[in-house]
Amino acid sequence: MARRPDAGAGYAGRPAAVTSHFLRQALLLAALAFVPAIGQAIYFRERVSWQSPIPPSEMVTVRQARAWGADVIWVDARPEEDFTHDHVPGAILLNEDRWNELLPPFLATWSPEKKVVVYCSTQSCNLALEVARRLRNEAQLKDVYVLQGGWEEWLKQKK
Amino acid sequence: MVELIVGGLFIYAGATKVLDPLQFAIDIDNYKSIPWSIAVRLAFYLPWLEMLCGLALITRRLYLGGLSILSLLISIFIVLSIVAKARGLDISCGCFGHASKYLSFAGHLALNFAILAALLTLFWRARSPQKESS
Repeated sequence: MARRPDAGAGYAGRPAAVTSHFLRQALLLAALAFVPAIGQAIYFRERVSWQSPIPPSEMVTVRQARAWGADVIWVDARPEEDFTHDHVPGAILLNEDRWNELLPPFLATWSPEKKVVVYCSTQSCNLALEVARRLRNEAQLKDVYVLQGGWEEWLKQKK
Repeated sequence: MVELIVGGLFIYAGATKVLDPLQFAIDIDNYKSIPWSIAVRLAFYLPWLEMLCGLALITRRLYLGGLSILSLLISIFIVLSIVAKARGLDISCGCFGHASKYLSFAGHLALNFAILAALLTLFWRARSPQKESS
């Protein structure tokens, strides 16, 4: 009924030969996948940060963000319980868990001359990165930055 | 039929990630298992590999190679998901692009085990093609 796979016959009788056949096929597929992948990587080379998840131009230090003063809207991308526990004064909660619900109130406070600084818990968390990306791509906002070191760094520098 | 479903699933999964490689790089980075520089390179490579292997299942060309790679990939994802959960990381596997965010950990794990079971069934059927064709 169904057509036989190209390497199925005789599998049980010749395990060594079939293992080598498996490997050859797998290696061929693995090699073939490089072709479009490299092409796509070349196409995206300017838009991707290869060494760090956030390009340096999209990051801001605590000191720099504070220097912007009232021109900044702080966005807290952490879960709500963390935000409720403590947050940067004046920060607005905007996380991916309740994106559709929290985005409109955020946009109501936003204005084009304001810079947006998004933070999550630490340097290694990706919540701020994802919220910043969605603000740029979906809400079409410019001047969106990720806070270097996140909330932990803000706390350190507060002391 | 199983080949069509499983192959189609991997082609769909690969296509959702090919459209947004940076998002997939972030999803890989969320596992905190490899450096970003490797995660971003894998984000360009893995979706194409998944799609090619899915295509191999459907067309039955390089069939066993496709089965081997997909079984290996899904096994790695299962292990990484469990390890990530054990480490307390709240992650999306990124298996189906942004849609994965709506899958719970249990749902995500069940789906991956179901796919692995389907792949192993295909392996078993490839072992005895004579029975299938009779």
